[in-house]
Amino acid sequence: MSTKIFGAFDVDSLQRVGEKLGFYGSIGVLVAISMFPVFWIFITSIKQPSNVVQFPVYYLPQQPTLENYRVALEQAPFMRYLLNSIIVAGGTAIVDVVLGALAGYSLSRLRFRFKLPVLLLILGTAMLPFISRLIPLFSLARSWGLLNSYLGLIIPYAAFQLPFAVWIFQAYFKELPDSLEEAGLMDGLSRIGVLFRIILPVSAPAMATTAIIVFIYAWNEFLFALTFMTEDSMRTITVGIALYQGEYQYPWGTISAAVFLSIVPLMLFMLFFQRRVVEGLTAGTGKA
Amino acid sequence: MPDTADHVSSSRHDGESTPAVSRWQRYREFRLTEEELATALLAPVVLFLLAVSFYPIIETVRSSFYTGYVIEARPQTFVGLQNYEQLLSNGGFWNSFTVSMIYTFVSVPIELCIGLGMALLLQRSFRGKYITQAAILFPWALPTVINAKIWAWMFHGQYGVINDMLIRIGIFETTFPFLAKPNVALASMTFITIWKTSSFMALILLAGLSGIPDHLYEAARMDGASRWRLFRDITLPLLKPTILVALIFRTLPAFQAFGLPYGLTGGGPGEATTTLVLFDHQLTFTQLAFGRGSAAATIITLIALVISLVYVGTLYEPEVR
Repeated sequence: MSTKIFGAFDVDSLQRVGEKLGFYGSIGVLVAISMFPVFWIFITSIKQPSNVVQFPVYYLPQQPTLENYRVALEQAPFMRYLLNSIIVAGGTAIVDVVLGALAGYSLSRLRFRFKLPVLLLILGTAMLPFISRLIPLFSLARSWGLLNSYLGLIIPYAAFQLPFAVWIFQAYFKELPDSLEEAGLMDGLSRIGVLFRIILPVSAPAMATTAIIVFIYAWNEFLFALTFMTEDSMRTITVGIALYQGEYQYPWGTISAAVFLSIVPLMLFMLFFQRRVVEGLTAGTGKA
Repeated sequence: MPDTADHVSSSRHDGESTPAVSRWQRYREFRLTEEELATALLAPVVLFLLAVSFYPIIETVRSSFYTGYVIEARPQTFVGLQNYEQLLSNGGFWNSFTVSMIYTFVSVPIELCIGLGMALLLQRSFRGKYITQAAILFPWALPTVINAKIWAWMFHGQYGVINDMLIRIGIFETTFPFLAKPNVALASMTFITIWKTSSFMALILLAGLSGIPDHLYEAARMDGASRWRLFRDITLPLLKPTILVALIFRTLPAFQAFGLPYGLTGGGPGEATTTLVLFDHQLTFTQLAFGRGSAAATIITLIALVISLVYVGTLYEPEVR
C-alpha cells in the first residue's frame, strides 16, 4: 500500500525514481573514472606542444594539433613496435590455442593413468612467479640466439599462459555431451578423427576466449619484453613507450600521442570482444 | 564397417576392452586407445612445460648457491648459502620486501571491497550494460607500464591534472609532488593499481553472484529479511569460494609488481617504490649479480608459494567442498 503525498506522488514511486537515479549515477561515475585517463591522454596528445606544460591546465585544447603525433612517429618507430607486439601476441595466442586444446581435450575427455599428476604439473606452474624463470631463460635465450627474436618471447609467454589455456579448454570440453563423440565413433571415425572433425570445430568459443585473453597478456607483458628485446627495432609497444626519451625535456606531448596510438587498438578490441573476455576470466569461478 | 561395435565399446566408458583389429592396423588408421591418444596429445604440452617452466626454476634454485656470471657460462663456484646471507643482510632487500608487502596487502583488500560494490551494481541488467562493462574493464586491459606512464603524467608535480583538479575543488592550495615524497609515492602507486584492477575483481565476483540461486533471496524476502541481512547471510557466505579465487588471482600478480614502479617512478624516490621484483631485476641485470639475483628470485618464489598455499588451504576447507 503506498502513501499519497500532495495527492499526486506516492512515496513508493518517488523512492523508485530516487533509486534509479542513484543507480545510473553510480554507473556513470564508474565509467567516468575508468575512462578519464584515456580522455586526458587524448587531450594532452592534441595540445600545442607549448600548451602541454601549462598550469592551471586547459581541459580542452586551445588549438588542436597533430604535431605531437608527427614528432612521435618521426622520433621512434612506434608502428614497428605495434607490429612487433602484434606478431608476438598473435604467435603466443596461436601456440596456446593449439596446445591448450589438445591438453584440455585429453584431461577432460580421455581416461589414462597419471591424469592427476599431469593436471597438477600443468596447473601448478600457474602459481609460480615469472621472475623465478627469468634468469635461466635469459641465459638459454642468449645461448640459443633467441634474444631479440619473436620466438624468444613467444616461447616463454606461451608456456606461462598454457595453464590458463588448458583450464579454459578442459572446462569447456567437460560440458560437451558424450553423445557427440559416440556418434562420431559409431560413424566409423577414429579417435583422432572425432577430435579433429567433431570436437575441435565445436570448440570455437573456447578458442576465441583463450586467444583473446592470451593475446592481451602477451600484449601487456613487460618484464620479459624489456629483458629479452634489447635492440630498438625488436621492442614491443609497451617497452617502446616505457623507454621513449625525447631529445631535450621529458616529452609528455609526444608520449601521450604514442600512448594514445597504442590504446586505440585496445579499446576497439575490448569493445568487440568484451563478452569473450568476461567469459574467459570467469570460467569456472562461478561454480562453488 | 565390421569393427564399429568395437569402437563404440572402446569409447571413454570402457577403456580396457581389447580392439579386434591389430595394433599395427590401429596405428596406421590412427585408431589409438585412449591411453595412447592422451600420451600423444599431452607429450608436447608436458615436455614444453618441463623445458620452459620447470627446468628454469630448478636452475634458478641451483644458481642461487653459486657465484659467477650465469650469462657467460663461466665455471661457477659453489658458495653454499652465502648469496642468501648477503641478501638477507642487505637493507635494500628488506626495504623492497616491505614495499611489496604493503603494496600487495593494502591494494588487494581495497580492490576486493570496491570490486564487490561494482559487482553488486553490475549484477542488475540495464540498457547499455555491455558497453559499460567494456568501459570499466578497459583499465584492466591497459598494459601496466603504459598505465604507469599515463598516471605519472596525471600525478605530475607541476603540470599534473590531479593537482589541477584538487586545487580547483579547493582541497589543495598549491601543487603537490605526489611522486617525489616517499610515502605518498607508494600510496599513489597503490591507488593506481586499485584503479586498474578493481573492475577485474568485479567481473570475477559477478560470475560468482550469478551462481547464487534466486529462490534463496525470494524465500528470505518472504520472511521479511532486510537487504543487509540478505547480503550478510546469503550473498557473502555463498560468494566465499569466488572471493578466494579473486584474491588468488590478484595477490600473486600484485606481489610480482614490476612494470608499474618501473614506469611510474623507476623505484624512487630513493627506494620508496622498489618492489621485490624490481629490486631483483636491478640486482641481476644492472649489477650483474646473478647468484644473488637467483637467490632473490628463489625467495620470491617461496613467498608466492606460501601465499598460494594459504589461499588454497582456505579454499578447500571441508565446509566448501
